Amino acid sequence: MTMNSLNIEGSRSTPQILCNADTGVISMRGDAYPENSFEFFHGLIDWVAQYLVETTHPLVLELYLIYMNTSSVKAMMDIFDMLEDAHRQGREVAVHWYYDPENERVVELAEEFREDLTFPFTISSVDE
Amino acid sequence: MSNHQPIPEDDAGQDAWLETLIVDPANSNNPLLPALQLLCRRDREHKKRLNRLLRISDGYYALARAETDSLLKHSNQQIRRLEKISRISDRYQQSLLEWNEQLRRAALRDPLTGLANRRMMIERIEEEQERARRRHTDFTLAMLDVDYFKQINDTYGHELGDRVLCSIADAINSNLRNYDLGARWGGEEFMILLPHTGLTEARDICARVQKALAGVKLAQTGQTLNITASIGLTPYRGQEEYTQTIDRADKALLRAKREGRDRIEVA
Repeated sequence: MTMNSLNIEGSRSTPQILCNADTGVISMRGDAYPENSFEFFHGLIDWVAQYLVETTHPLVLELYLIYMNTSSVKAMMDIFDMLEDAHRQGREVAVHWYYDPENERVVELAEEFREDLTFPFTISSVDE
Repeated sequence: MSNHQPIPEDDAGQDAWLETLIVDPANSNNPLLPALQLLCRRDREHKKRLNRLLRISDGYYALARAETDSLLKHSNQQIRRLEKISRISDRYQQSLLEWNEQLRRAALRDPLTGLANRRMMIERIEEEQERARRRHTDFTLAMLDVDYFKQINDTYGHELGDRVLCSIADAINSNLRNYDLGARWGGEEFMILLPHTGLTEARDICARVQKALAGVKLAQTGQTLNITASIGLTPYRGQEEYTQTIDRADKALLRAKREGRDRIEVA
């Protein structure tokens, strides 16, 4: 079975999500405060789980996230935990978190997310 | 019985003693010998069973302990996770509060001069009106319009005109007391709210502002612009609606303009 790419259109309260099965790159852009975060992140989490099981290629997350509500924070932590497990089993995974230099506070947030994780996790300004 | 030594106290000694009795040739014809042999055999069986039982139940205990440990570990992990989620979430909330505060401030300030805008002035006047009605205090409103400001714009261009407006705003603001409020009402028109202030005192403050305006200079050249302003001054009266007060200040200002500008008219 081959992996399909997954594209979720962004809205005012949900980020745009592009999962590319060929390149192994997931990009997320925008704010995340969906009304039903379980439903919203369900597709993404399934995709990541399937990708990790069915392929052996690297997986890279490129994040351009601004605001997140609590349940979205939890969903992102779930995804990072999946990556951490995969990493401990020798899989190549990485997260690149990009922030707007106008909004430096995002750095502290991303650092908080990164705590306890051992795979490569970079935090950089979109300008760099 | 040929053996009359005392019975040993410890288990191993007793076993050895029993064994000696059983194998002693002197006891070989004792009718109780088969019974003793039977009892010893049963005793060994019982001990073996008891040991097995202990080992098995120890095993279960260890299992239960391991399970508890893993549950404990798991629940500690979950707590750590929850703490992390709350920490991150708190940070987001803090950012939101700050953005909110920035927006609120932006919504109440005139972007050019940084003075209060019309909305903030109305809010403060409403508060003063409430206070005046409850505690019978008084407040005074001054409506100020810069004379011939169009000429400054025409002579120096709008960009410099805007900078002069900022200097005017500063001149007004720095001559007020810290509980007064100066706002940009529109164009080159300003409103000044003077809480707990009667007409005489209000007039002094307005005169001070006029004097400060006369000293406003063109930032580039340092040239004094001889700015004058017409002012309509009026106290809040009794139980009236503040819109009536504003209206009166407006009319007084018009009169000041008609009567030749650079003056204060009281209504």
